[in-house]
Amino acid sequence: MAKKGGRRAFAERNLLIIIIIMAIFLSIATKGNFYSWENISNLLRQSSINGVVAIGMTLIIITGGIDLSVGSIVGLSGMTYAILTSNRGEIQMSSGLAILISLGIAALIGLANGVAVHDGKVPPFIATLGMMTLVRGLVMYVSSGRMITGIPMGFRQFSVATFLNIPALAWIWIILAIFMSFVLKYTMFGRNLYAIGSNKEAARLSGINIRLNMYSFYTVAALFSGIAGLMLATRMAAGVPTGGQGYELDAIASVVIGGASLSGGVGTVFGTALGALIIQTMRNGGNLLGVDPFIMQIIIGALIILAVFFDQYLKGRREG
Amino acid sequence: MSSKKEVLRLEDICKSFPAVQALDQVNMSISAGEVRGLVGENGAGKSTLIKIVTGAYDKDSGKIIFEGNEIVRNSPIVSKKLGIYAVYQDVMIAPDLSVAENFFLGNQPKRGLIIDWGKMYEESEEFLRDMELEIDVKRNIRELSVAEGRMVTIAKCLWQEPKLVIFDEPTAVLTQNETQILFRIIRDLKERGIAVIYISHNLEEVFDVCDTVTVLKDGKLVGTYTVPELESVDKLIPLMVGRPIEEMYYKKEVEIGPELLRVENLSGKRFRNIEINVRAGEILGVFGLVGSGRTEIARAIYGADRFDEGKIVVNGQEILVKRPKDSLSSGLGYLPEDRKNQGIFPQQDVEFNINVINLDKVMRAGIIDYSKAYQQAQDYVDKLSIKVGSVRQRLSELSGGNQQKVVIARWLCKNPNILIFDEPTTGIDVGTKVEIYKLFGEILDQGKGIILISSYLPELISLSDRIIVISNGEVAGEVEKEDFSEEYLLRLAMKNILNKEKVQEAV
Repeated sequence: MAKKGGRRAFAERNLLIIIIIMAIFLSIATKGNFYSWENISNLLRQSSINGVVAIGMTLIIITGGIDLSVGSIVGLSGMTYAILTSNRGEIQMSSGLAILISLGIAALIGLANGVAVHDGKVPPFIATLGMMTLVRGLVMYVSSGRMITGIPMGFRQFSVATFLNIPALAWIWIILAIFMSFVLKYTMFGRNLYAIGSNKEAARLSGINIRLNMYSFYTVAALFSGIAGLMLATRMAAGVPTGGQGYELDAIASVVIGGASLSGGVGTVFGTALGALIIQTMRNGGNLLGVDPFIMQIIIGALIILAVFFDQYLKGRREG
Repeated sequence: MSSKKEVLRLEDICKSFPAVQALDQVNMSISAGEVRGLVGENGAGKSTLIKIVTGAYDKDSGKIIFEGNEIVRNSPIVSKKLGIYAVYQDVMIAPDLSVAENFFLGNQPKRGLIIDWGKMYEESEEFLRDMELEIDVKRNIRELSVAEGRMVTIAKCLWQEPKLVIFDEPTAVLTQNETQILFRIIRDLKERGIAVIYISHNLEEVFDVCDTVTVLKDGKLVGTYTVPELESVDKLIPLMVGRPIEEMYYKKEVEIGPELLRVENLSGKRFRNIEINVRAGEILGVFGLVGSGRTEIARAIYGADRFDEGKIVVNGQEILVKRPKDSLSSGLGYLPEDRKNQGIFPQQDVEFNINVINLDKVMRAGIIDYSKAYQQAQDYVDKLSIKVGSVRQRLSELSGGNQQKVVIARWLCKNPNILIFDEPTTGIDVGTKVEIYKLFGEILDQGKGIILISSYLPELISLSDRIIVISNGEVAGEVEKEDFSEEYLLRLAMKNILNKEKVQEAV
């Protein structure tokens, strides 16, 4: 009975093959430099922040929506933490409490997104576009557009800490990805997500509380951005007003390359993680090979279009 | 005066869909200036026939001859060019444009590159005045009432100088007055030598406005009659329903037990004062024409839509139904009419679709045990002999009949005390239908009750223990088994549509 199959696994298998081919190609082209442990751990560290944002984005895209506000939430969460803890500020709160408050604010913004989308019937694109601008404005206002430094030492050192030779930041990504993969597959939360994303009316008639679930999807997505914001703050050792700008695009690209469908109902956290890795591997490889970063940008853009094209092509074939 | 020139002739038109023969060798001929009624039960093939004439569907075989020439490759564009126009039930005009713009859509009068607005308003105003419609042509369609919008749609059709106009249930949203205007327009079309096909459930109207009537039944032509020859509605109804009941209906007789569900005085948007009760081991049939409110009533009972007033009593206790979750936990189930939009999760697999309301049986401490989940799905796939590669197959890859079986499997697994089936067998092949009827027997055996909503009378008559007839949002009658007849039920269903006097005579 437990036959491994299904289209989702198929998409993931393809992505794995792509990554392996890219890795082999890069290790030959860079004469083994790509395979240096230093480079790999660097790659993981670079992927981790986008990777965490993309987990949240996966949820929203499975509902058939999109969340453009994630980048601004990354900025806000990091900034909130910096302001609350900076030794040059007036508050100088303990790190733990500041983390909780930063994440709480991120979650509230997600909840507001959920209310706007579900109750306000504002299309997700518009609701989160507005929220993106609003939250970025908030970040600029509270920081007066300046970097906030002087965050606790222990928190700053986290960005360079490793465990089993893998960067701590990458561990956060890996653990969250495994945890959310499990939640999506094995809990009611996950099943409700796929049900609502595939057919909202059928889900409602099946007794699923659409409002409560939509609230939680947007809240959880924002929570992931909040975590990513803290990860960014430790890397930058500061709250940066422009922090997280444009992150929504990398996150959407990772999810889409990872095989999710923008019409909803399809997508996995594992696929998204592979998507995030592919994007970063390309950037990293381009770097090592000395490819012009502008050219890299062109290639990544083309890759996103190709990924969606491939998805549509498969869908067209299925529907005859 | 009407000439005898033939406008449209259909020869041996056949059309089949995966599960049904929708049209079987239908012949029909309409002359210029003739108003032809097209009648038949739901599913008789009226809409399919119209869609073939307008080119929305391809025929399988047969000929469409228009003004003496065969239309070899029909399409909506071809038929429009020839002058065939259909006014559908749903308004098909651009709601954010003005009346005048809608008239001239794609064909705006221009002065150089600039649209000549003055000319547009002037001409469309004059045209509407000729039709005795007082509608401001500068207003957007969205600002008009439903009926006004409808009249504009009709006017737009006539604006194109058609040769054949098809009206599909045109009066459903019109007021008495507007209906009269429409009839006058139709008579005017007749004068001008335009052929008209008029489809309506309202047989009185058909008698009012048509010269001849074509009756379809199960995709076959029953005949074409002149109105004087038919004399009255009473003679037309038997032609629409008279068919021996096929031997396919399996009904398990179960001893009828206590009342499971009682609906008291339920009123909502499209229905008033509905009283219904269902007992253990019983199939309660619900019959009504399309738009009668039967689905709305079912949805209200299940909590899918709000209702204004009324009580729902399950096992002697009133339940508060605000959302489907409430009725689900009180032991109600609802299988929606619109499988595609309300029933299935197309991108998910069979296991997901069966277990969506049955996860509680395969969960431990909030975590799904997939070996149990797959086994549970597999059990029902076997039980209903659903044809799937594996329970991991995506639902969108299954045929309609198998998709329907998956949705039924979902409910059998849930095993509620009262199950509402809304058109459970539409678009399903005969073999699967018989299997579904057998499953009804199993449900009844367990002392459960079924509400079966169907517009297919033979099915309803053979399977139901009692039938409630809904007409125009009200209970038109409750019919006991010994009084079942297609004629009687259809007449009840039209009770609030026909004028009252006729009903008294007829019933």
